[in-house]
Amino acid sequence: MNFLRLFGVFFRVNVMGELAYRVNFFWQLFQSILSLGMSLAGIAVIFSYTDTLGGWRPDEVLVLVGVYLLVGGIIGLVIQPGMERLIESVRDGTLDFTLTKPEDTQLIVSIQRIEIWQFIDIVLGLAVLATALIRLGENVGGWQAAAFVLMLLAGAVIIYSFFLILATLSFWFVRVENILAIFQSMYEAGRWPISLYPGWLRYGLTFVIPVAFATTVPAEALTGRLNWGTLLGAAMLAVVLFTVSRAFWLVGLRHYSGTSA
Amino acid sequence: MKALAELYVQQFKTTLASMFQYRASLLIWMIGQVLEPLVYLIVWSIVSNNSGGSVGDYTTREFAAYFIVMMVVNQVTYTWIMYEFEYRIREGILSFALLKPIHPIHSDIADNVSSKLITLPIMILIAAGLAVAFHTSVSPTPWAVALFIPALLLAFLVRFLLEWTLAQAAFWTTRVSAINQTYFVVMLFLSGQFTPLTLLPHPIQVAAAILPFRWMIGFPVELLLGRLTLTEALTGLAAQAVWLIIGFVLVRIVWRAGLRIYSAVGA
Amino acid sequence: MTLPAVHIRDLRKTYVVSQQEAGAMAALQGLLHRRKAEVPAVDGISFDLAPGEIVGFLGPNGAGKTTTLKMLSGLLYPTAGEVTVLGYVPWKRAKSFLRQITLVMGQRNQLVWDIPALHSFDLNRVIYHIPAEDYRRMVGELTELLELEPLLHKPVRNLSLGERMKCEIAVALLHRPSVVFLDEPTIGLDVTMQRRIRAFIAEYNRRFGATVLLTSHYMADVEALCRRVVIIHHGRLLFDGDLSVLVQKFTSHKTIVVQLGDCQADLRTYGEVVSCADGRFTLRVPKAETAHITERLLADLPVIDLLVEDPPIEEVIERVFAQESP
Repeated sequence: MNFLRLFGVFFRVNVMGELAYRVNFFWQLFQSILSLGMSLAGIAVIFSYTDTLGGWRPDEVLVLVGVYLLVGGIIGLVIQPGMERLIESVRDGTLDFTLTKPEDTQLIVSIQRIEIWQFIDIVLGLAVLATALIRLGENVGGWQAAAFVLMLLAGAVIIYSFFLILATLSFWFVRVENILAIFQSMYEAGRWPISLYPGWLRYGLTFVIPVAFATTVPAEALTGRLNWGTLLGAAMLAVVLFTVSRAFWLVGLRHYSGTSA
Repeated sequence: MKALAELYVQQFKTTLASMFQYRASLLIWMIGQVLEPLVYLIVWSIVSNNSGGSVGDYTTREFAAYFIVMMVVNQVTYTWIMYEFEYRIREGILSFALLKPIHPIHSDIADNVSSKLITLPIMILIAAGLAVAFHTSVSPTPWAVALFIPALLLAFLVRFLLEWTLAQAAFWTTRVSAINQTYFVVMLFLSGQFTPLTLLPHPIQVAAAILPFRWMIGFPVELLLGRLTLTEALTGLAAQAVWLIIGFVLVRIVWRAGLRIYSAVGA
Repeated sequence: MTLPAVHIRDLRKTYVVSQQEAGAMAALQGLLHRRKAEVPAVDGISFDLAPGEIVGFLGPNGAGKTTTLKMLSGLLYPTAGEVTVLGYVPWKRAKSFLRQITLVMGQRNQLVWDIPALHSFDLNRVIYHIPAEDYRRMVGELTELLELEPLLHKPVRNLSLGERMKCEIAVALLHRPSVVFLDEPTIGLDVTMQRRIRAFIAEYNRRFGATVLLTSHYMADVEALCRRVVIIHHGRLLFDGDLSVLVQKFTSHKTIVVQLGDCQADLRTYGEVVSCADGRFTLRVPKAETAHITERLLADLPVIDLLVEDPPIEEVIERVFAQESP
């Protein structure tokens, strides 16, 4: 209940003012469509030379593109902005203000910033997904849809926890301002099915920088490739990573309060 | 001339020191630089293997060689001046550069080259490693190697001058990210970063020849891979020279125009 | 006897910093092995604040003021010693504790930059669970006292420094904290704005009986607001008492300002000539001889005006600092 009230006010504070800038909407739309166009052009070229890519048909790759956009939008909407602001506030000392507030600091820093125009990516992603599924002509069964939603949720939690761990590092290493960029560069690899990549890269994109859980795994769920192992693995990893990130966050906070000047 | 040489040496020391401080960010950036061509390498290798071992005039191994060389050439020609410029104007620190008695482009070139003196050896090592991993190599003719050096140099200069010009869009608008993104998307396809230009539809290839992108990145790659005849190579160098001149002219014009705007608003 | 609002006993905070030397060789060495040094920022201080007191906390940069304030607001763990605020141990950061205190830092903003100040107010309303009616009343009072009316709907980045500071102070006090920590609240502001903010702090203290601990570089802040000052230097307390006592105890000189026709006269026999401008001489004389020298000046010279002053408190404070050798 309290969380909803808090989220509500942060939403109002971040979004209401921004909505006045309609011009930003069009620029974001432009950039999102440009990015989507680039993906589609690339896929078009690739599939002019082949029928499948590592077993994935064109429309299944399209599903992946949709997921890529959708999850990218969710990350850009609320996860990344908050963590970027957190890293900044560690550096410029405004985190102190957040610490004197009578609410859980992790909660505040996680929802403090909302980049509202990223919802365009979310909408575009959903549109691409819908288009791809229609073209595939398959009926998306209840199980597949449920698995998809669950994997999406797990993916979001995993990515959030990962970002939090990276941001917490800034308590020790002040100069990691663009440490979040490491995810951004890796995320590009998520445009293609992770199964394409050689073992070591696949491993890195799953367990080191969890891009696979953001893009390929939910896409697998929707295209009926998901096996139980991955499903349970993802769910468990989400829970574990969430717990670990919270613990690490508290350690980081202790360190900050012990040695900041 | 001597003063310029001193400047470059000084800038090298400064760049070295700050790179040391930002080594983590540098590492992250380099990972990105390696990952992008690597991803395309893998994707096209799969397509190639699926299509009987080759696509167009590239075998799987040749794809690997292409993207590995592409990775190095991209690294050599790469600039970040567009973000840098926007930052300077936004933070109001461009004024400092304007107060100095030399054109700011010099310290930018110096900074760019200095960083590459560090990152390039690493890149080449990685390229060598990847070549082994993907069982590929290049065997260019002697003249191709001889022409590769000037081609690479010209490519760097053309790309630097044009991106420096583009960077000055920041004088006129704050929507630099939209411009940058458009530029990079177009470049991705038209410079050969996504796939060798010969694999793209013919109209795109024509566009690529007219626009500078191929001459910034793709051309030296094709040259080193031994895919060009001598005539094509020399024509390419001429095209690069033309774009170099265009670049010089543009830099001067746009810089002067931009300064007028900047000083009118107040530095 | 009422419980103190703030209680500090033998408080210590020691930082461990790594040494870095210049030069490429040292930088490389630094990669492998960092030398550490212990820096005592707060070195055993003790004092209490009674509820409703306004106390000035003075010291040069690096004296330990901000560190102490951070320990009082729960931002830092002390290395040793006792500290309680309103009966709470600050670093435990109990929610009920946090709801009763506030920290204003002159150099940093808690207001969200791109949006009107009123939205940041709203944020605090929700975070501090301020009931709607109380919130409305408080906003009204603060708007009136600080003249915020034209400022509240402008994005914070469009406000001038002084306007921003007023809004910062307002947003920090919305939840009517009973303990207020102010860290250089008037820094960088022009004289008029400083005066306004001082007046506001005094009024807030009067109306709500809040305990205020104020650090500042500006003597005017301290003189206007605080009867009691605590002076800290190199992490130790040098003085804790009435401002007037401070002046008395640490000054051996007084200042005489004499207005003559011009700067021609040589007044060195009367005392140390500090300066002269347009015939206005400033003399520094030993305290004991003030009356005598004043007599002589009035007798000997065509004095247009004469004023006897205590030395500026800056000087007094500097003297206090100088006495304490590091």
